[in-house]
Amino acid sequence: MMERPGMIQRLIRLIAESPAAVAAFVAALGALAAPVLGMAADTGYTSAVAYRDVPVVGSRNLVWVIAQLHLLLAGFVLGVPIFAWLCEVVAWKTGEKRYDKLAKEFTKLLSSAYSTTALFGGILLFILIGAYPKLMAYLSDIFFPSFMVYCALFLLETATLYMYWYGWDAMSEGGSKVFHLFLGFMLNFFAFFIMIIPNSWATFQASPVVIAEGSDLARAWAATWNPTWWPVNIHRLIANVVLGGYICGAYAGIRYLSARTPEEREHYDWMGYVGNFIGVFGLLPLPFAGYWLMREIYQYNQQMGITLMGGFLSWLFILQAMLIGVLFLGSNYYFWMGITHRIPGSEAQYKRPILTMLVILLLCLGVWMTPHSLVASLEEAQKMGGTHHPLLGVFGVMSAKMTVSNLMVLVTFMSFLMYWQAGKQATVGWARVAKAIMNALLVIAGLAVIALGVYGYFVPAIIRINYFSTSQVGIVLFVLVTFTLLTSAILKSAKTTTEMVWGRMPPRAGYALVLNAVMVILLMTLMGYARSSSRVHWHVYGVMRDSSQYAFSPALGYAAVLMAANTFFFCMIVAFIFWVATMGDKGKNAHGSKEKGADSHGALPAMAGGSQTLDKQI
Amino acid sequence: MSEVVKLQLIGLSVVGSGILILLFIRSQFLRVIGFVFIVLGLFSLVALAVPQMASLPPAEESIDIASIKTPADMASIGQKVFFSKGQCALCHSIGPSESARCPDLKGIGAKLSREFIFESLTQPQAYIYLDYRHEGIPKEYPARMPYINKDPIGLSKNEILSIIAFLQQMSGEPISVNPSELEMPGKAPAAPVKTAEAAPVAVAQAQ
Repeated sequence: MMERPGMIQRLIRLIAESPAAVAAFVAALGALAAPVLGMAADTGYTSAVAYRDVPVVGSRNLVWVIAQLHLLLAGFVLGVPIFAWLCEVVAWKTGEKRYDKLAKEFTKLLSSAYSTTALFGGILLFILIGAYPKLMAYLSDIFFPSFMVYCALFLLETATLYMYWYGWDAMSEGGSKVFHLFLGFMLNFFAFFIMIIPNSWATFQASPVVIAEGSDLARAWAATWNPTWWPVNIHRLIANVVLGGYICGAYAGIRYLSARTPEEREHYDWMGYVGNFIGVFGLLPLPFAGYWLMREIYQYNQQMGITLMGGFLSWLFILQAMLIGVLFLGSNYYFWMGITHRIPGSEAQYKRPILTMLVILLLCLGVWMTPHSLVASLEEAQKMGGTHHPLLGVFGVMSAKMTVSNLMVLVTFMSFLMYWQAGKQATVGWARVAKAIMNALLVIAGLAVIALGVYGYFVPAIIRINYFSTSQVGIVLFVLVTFTLLTSAILKSAKTTTEMVWGRMPPRAGYALVLNAVMVILLMTLMGYARSSSRVHWHVYGVMRDSSQYAFSPALGYAAVLMAANTFFFCMIVAFIFWVATMGDKGKNAHGSKEKGADSHGALPAMAGGSQTLDKQI
Repeated sequence: MSEVVKLQLIGLSVVGSGILILLFIRSQFLRVIGFVFIVLGLFSLVALAVPQMASLPPAEESIDIASIKTPADMASIGQKVFFSKGQCALCHSIGPSESARCPDLKGIGAKLSREFIFESLTQPQAYIYLDYRHEGIPKEYPARMPYINKDPIGLSKNEILSIIAFLQQMSGEPISVNPSELEMPGKAPAAPVKTAEAAPVAVAQAQ
């Protein structure tokens, strides 16, 4: 006899399966917060208390943890719809149903993920209002109109999610499917605005602008359109795609490691491939978006730029290089394992290019991780002739780092292309010429990036930043776009010489996928700390000073321990969300197998993107 | 035991726990957690191994006017402000430097008058170079210098005068700033350092 689920399980399932619960929660939150916001919006209101502390933990640490978790969850719930919609489009275009199933099952996660995100958002709001009343009153005074838009967007997003999720099966064919795709697009459209509105509050704190006299709306709009708003919007949008892809990969990696049947292994191997593919797809343009953001920060306030990259945060960028380097290596390693394990007889053919790419990546990583100034004693500094090492110092500057980061993107793109083309033979006549042109272009692009990097040492910084670095980025982007289009055209009619064999990856492939996801989450926490610390002792840079006992940025080690804890908490929350989302399927499967008298395999859950073999058993 | 050592011990124990889980636990999910422990522990240990610098807010230093007797006293205070609150050394060097982003200030006190230095600090856009290398109206080179008397640096007039004294002394020039020019607290208008205590709107620096 099947056990009845407990009260908590039923409650969790209710929340997980009903977007109505999310909407109700958000509405309740809005209703609760409205008096506070309204009070804050009253121009005559000023809080008598500037700060309140939280015992033991400290208000700043508590806000740090909750805000970080909220932001990561928000990245997840914004990344997953993009990921799901892309998979649905692929399924629609190619007719491969497994992509559609993958998209549907990941959409199922959204309801529980939304409610968890809203929960953390609510907690954050209450802690901020309680611990930083003066700052919140100040921000509410400026941004009150955008709060209203934000609430309206939540309602639209929830309604769209209702239709998108519950209408999946009803709108699976013909014109209905197109409408369903449109709904998916709208889901992402609203989600994008839900992302950029809070971005305006955070970026205003870092790069406030002169607020003109005028209506509340005019003032809010002026504050919203601050210099770092759009760079952060674009950077976060791409980062969310990366997060969604790599988390899907990590989930697949864990399921692959614990798979018991060949069907499961095949399926989760394929899912890991899709997750890594989308993660890398987003990862390649991400450094350029980051570069644009840094450039805007420098343009807005050179002092803030120097604090970030040349001041006490300079070592943070060495850590960032390490994390990005591991992420690039992890992604490439997974590609290379895919080529050598999934394509029979390919080991010998690809061994050399893989080794070459590995060497280039390691060399580039070495340069990227070279600090600008070394920490040395007076005696050591005298021996070196300064704080800059005579040889290593050459690699510690931006010209070298821009060059190697571009080269790493190029190499990763080559891995991506190599994997894409593996086991296929072009049939079009012009393929040979196109490949020759691509090879020549690749060599020219690599040399041009290096030449601009070297020349960058001999020109003033402003010329390097404005012309050389942007040219390097332009060259690499040109290669990315043209090569993708050409390869896509070549492979359109290519014949398959060797079929991919799924489910033969070694266990370390699963761990590589988990590692990539952890690296992305750590990177997001690290850069969140950097962005916040760049404001130094200001709540709103240059406008509202932090006069609390926490008006300092902690050292990197202390911050890193908190970041690691946040990353772990987030991973556990995501694991919980996956567990909750599959709980209903477990029940259904168990029930179905009882009725059909199926064997014990039927009791296995139809997990996100569940295997088709398992589906047939139900 | 310092805080860093305590955190390092925590990091080491997290890595150790991860290794133990991988060695002795068979559950795949727990093994993945063990692996994540190792990654996060190593990340923390690396971060604890790099130089540990906290960014402290600038001390609310006030110049004790009574203690300033000579122009040399002012130069001494100016030197402190130059390398601390003023943040001048972030961009400027004193003497040639490859890493300096802005003009070398060695000897600047001999080249420029005190009025010009004061204007450069408080109104950096007032005197700007023009680019005639193209047709039409000459293009302005915008100054990259921040308004030193406004937020976020926000030096007071006394501090600016002290910096001028320091720049002149450093250049071997006679110091033309006199302690009698310093504004006594309570007599002069408040220094322009003003945070938005209860300001309804932000009046921040322009882009």
